[in-house]
Amino acid sequence: PSWGPRLVPARGRKTRHDPPAKSKASRLKLPPPVDPEELFVVTERYRQHRLVLGALRAEFRAEVLQKKREALLSQEGSAELVEEHQRLMAWNEEENARQRARREERLRKEEEEQKRQKLQAAESRASKMEAVLKEKEKEILQLQEEAKSFITPENLEARIEECLDNPRNYNFAIDKEGRIVRRTVLS
Amino acid sequence: MAMKGRFPIRRTLQYLSQGDVVFKSSVKVMTVNYNSAGELSEGARKFVFFNIPQIQYKNPWVQIMLFRNMTPSPFLRFYLDNGEQVLVDVEDKTNKEITEHIKKILGKSKETLEKEERERRKLSHPANFGPKKYHLRECICEVEGQIPCPAVVPLPKEMRGKYKAAAKDEA
Repeated sequence: PSWGPRLVPARGRKTRHDPPAKSKASRLKLPPPVDPEELFVVTERYRQHRLVLGALRAEFRAEVLQKKREALLSQEGSAELVEEHQRLMAWNEEENARQRARREERLRKEEEEQKRQKLQAAESRASKMEAVLKEKEKEILQLQEEAKSFITPENLEARIEECLDNPRNYNFAIDKEGRIVRRTVLS
Repeated sequence: MAMKGRFPIRRTLQYLSQGDVVFKSSVKVMTVNYNSAGELSEGARKFVFFNIPQIQYKNPWVQIMLFRNMTPSPFLRFYLDNGEQVLVDVEDKTNKEITEHIKKILGKSKETLEKEERERRKLSHPANFGPKKYHLRECICEVEGQIPCPAVVPLPKEMRGKYKAAAKDEA
């Protein structure tokens, strides 16, 4: 406490560390006298008062909370909020529908793609088979043609005669330009 | 500093507080069904990896459940407190699109959030002094430019009460 002119310390001359005076040796310090009935009545009255006040406080607190909760609920359950919610749900449904459409589109495209691929594969296989068959046929034809000039036991004699009659000269020279020179004569 | 996981930035408070999806109070449970493989689930996977921590941070009372490889296509499902279920198809969407979508249908709008922020600010007055838990300052000596705390630096004699009282007594 600030020691202003109003607040004067009760100690006066001595500090708290000085011993008390001899005249005060027989002093008996007693607490203030108490009337038990009065005390009982006063405490009882105080108790009832505080009880009532506490109850009132709790009551008001509960009321304020209730009001706040009611305000929140009414604000949440209001018509415009519900309508807003419906609108957003409808939009969400639309979005889902759009997504569904996109997905179906995609699946359809994939199916088509697969079908196309299968067809193409079948076609290529067919064409390959055809090519192979053609090749085989060509070979057969070629063989047939060659077979005409084969030497069989029937025309063995004739062919031998033919070879002997027409001697072939394999002696020739070739220069760097590719001109062939046949000078040697078969004897 | 501990850097755990593949993208430790997801664990920073700054990243988490940047999430802007605050659900309405009617949303109680959010369920995400997605696949660990497949191009169509890519957006959902990114959403689960990057955006769900932000959402959970902003909505600590919403239960979020993840289901892996249970359905052929990914989707989100919200369970509201009036029993309504909201289905959101997220196939072939990026994670940003997914967050925008759910912010639009079930998130609190910016006005609502601002209103709530204003209400919260109204409760505490910044000019009041008191315990640090409830107020900004306890004493004016904490403010820069004001007189320092007399516990640290004694006040000049002219400002002290005992000097002023003694002077008045004298006069």
